[in-house]
Amino acid sequence: MPKQIDFPSMISKLRLFHFKRRRLPSYSELQTLLGYKSKGGVSVLISHLIKRRLLQKDSAGKLAPGAELIGGLRLLGTVQAGFPSPAEEELLDTISLDEFLIKKPNATYIVKVSGDSMIEEGIKEGDLVLVERGRQPQSGDIVIAQVDGQWTMKYFEKKDGKVILRAANKKYPVIVPQRELVIGGVVVANVRKYK
Amino acid sequence: MSANTNSPINLSSFPRPIIHIDCDAFFTSVEQALHPELKGKPVVTGKERGIVACASYEAKALGVKRPMRLWEAKKHLPQLICLPSDYETYSLYSRRMFSIIREFTPDVEEYSIDEVFADLSGLRRVYRTGYCEIALKMKKTIQEQLGLTVSVGLSASKILAKIASKYKKPDGFTVLPANELHRFLPGISLDQVCGFGPNTVALLMKKGVHNVWDYVSRPELWAKQLLGKIGVELWHELRGESVYPIVTEEKTKYDSISKTKTFTPPSSDKDFLRAQLIRNTESAFIKLRRHKLRAKWVCIFLRGQDFRSWGTEAGLDRSTCSTLEIAPIVNQLFEKIFRENVLCRLTGIVLSEIEPDKTVQYSLFDDAPKLRSYSAINRVIDEVSELYGKHKLHLGTSLWLNQHKQHVSERGDLPERKMELMKGETFRQRLGIPIWQVTV
Repeated sequence: MPKQIDFPSMISKLRLFHFKRRRLPSYSELQTLLGYKSKGGVSVLISHLIKRRLLQKDSAGKLAPGAELIGGLRLLGTVQAGFPSPAEEELLDTISLDEFLIKKPNATYIVKVSGDSMIEEGIKEGDLVLVERGRQPQSGDIVIAQVDGQWTMKYFEKKDGKVILRAANKKYPVIVPQRELVIGGVVVANVRKYK
Repeated sequence: MSANTNSPINLSSFPRPIIHIDCDAFFTSVEQALHPELKGKPVVTGKERGIVACASYEAKALGVKRPMRLWEAKKHLPQLICLPSDYETYSLYSRRMFSIIREFTPDVEEYSIDEVFADLSGLRRVYRTGYCEIALKMKKTIQEQLGLTVSVGLSASKILAKIASKYKKPDGFTVLPANELHRFLPGISLDQVCGFGPNTVALLMKKGVHNVWDYVSRPELWAKQLLGKIGVELWHELRGESVYPIVTEEKTKYDSISKTKTFTPPSSDKDFLRAQLIRNTESAFIKLRRHKLRAKWVCIFLRGQDFRSWGTEAGLDRSTCSTLEIAPIVNQLFEKIFRENVLCRLTGIVLSEIEPDKTVQYSLFDDAPKLRSYSAINRVIDEVSELYGKHKLHLGTSLWLNQHKQHVSERGDLPERKMELMKGETFRQRLGIPIWQVTV
């Protein structure tokens, strides 16, 4: 029976290496990383990974990350006129949309927006805001907070050492917490998906 | 009787600093963290199964216990809030907790979905502070980032750390240095030790051992003669001499693999029960193959309305990981244990005598081409599962499952997360970020 290659675990090891070191491993590093006995075995594996578009070979025959390895969006520099040149593309490191939006994956939650209190900030009903828990809010941040028993999303502001919560909607008055204020989290991004 | 409780048995406080972190009422705490309106209220999960799977501390305080039938609990406590289990979200939380702890130390053992052991050796230099402060910081970080309380035990071995974390719950923080054991252990009863079952406790009591201090004061040889190897291991662990290592790898060695499933309402329909059992078999074999194992012993059982089980078992000529090879055998066994007109609420399978799936030694009478085609089919089943979801490709017998639902009862048995999908999500694939259900 031919030996089965455990692709998912190999790919995750490769991704981790690439993410941590910002480069691809050499053949001998791959050998130790993936537990191969010979470099021949590694080269067979590499041909599979090239087929799966996780790796590619550049003009000099060296390994380069393939389209599927990072899974991120290509950032193409500032488009001025015409098409961006491939050289520009090479200069920029890419991050995935996840990494772009989320700094602390363990502390980030989604909150579905239901009201219109932040409408002038451009946060509409149905938007998905990404909220980081356990982060100290700065004046001007948007926070999810519980004020006197009620949950709300507002600007967090400090005036004369006192905390006030202000809506981005003229309809709503400024909130000055009376009994208690619990900061649930700080809004770090807003996602609106159209399609 | 026991040795002098004034003299310590260890001189250093943490010869090996081991921490045990245990979430408090994990499933319901996750629900309460994501649904602030549930905070402070009696909540249980397990609605889809009709039993209490997890009860919040508020519910426990009002007399709800696990496992209790839901209608029983509800009768006892009408204001009880019953939620369907949302295992997807619980797993997300579990992974986040493991990952937070790994930010402190790489030596982490994922002991269960809501329990972790970790070795803090050497971290004092990194954090420029003591082990207690590091442990406290871990607890605080989990609470801040996940919004859950955990109970923490810090001591010198796994068994001691677990005793410490159980010592005060919920939201506990118990430090048990090895040089303080002589003060602490006399107050710890034997049944608080993970590893002493009711029978062992009864035996030790007969021998005049009434608490953990009595046990560790006896000579090592005495423990060995009475309880054997495990007795000695526990004797050392309880004295603050770490024996059990932190196992950081994912568990791939199994003594047995079992799959069971409850269905409501109970059924006595032969085809339906057979289909349930075949589905258990398929699930167990998928797990077997995922860990590259095969099994040589199979046991199947049914459970009646009175929670009593009966079953039968069979050994195979040759160990296997092929669903098609085992299905006819399971079917034969089922014919033996099926009882006409007896309502069943659960079917299950246990695979044992498990070994790594390496080389195949065909016996003289094996049909080698057929077996090879079986393994090809297995590969296809697993590949299809990976692409389109588990059990998309299954045996014809389990088609009977489509005629009934797993649980036919009132609506709302599916967790909210599966009912309200966001744009771009499907029933099978959703964003891996918990949704915090606050109205803002």
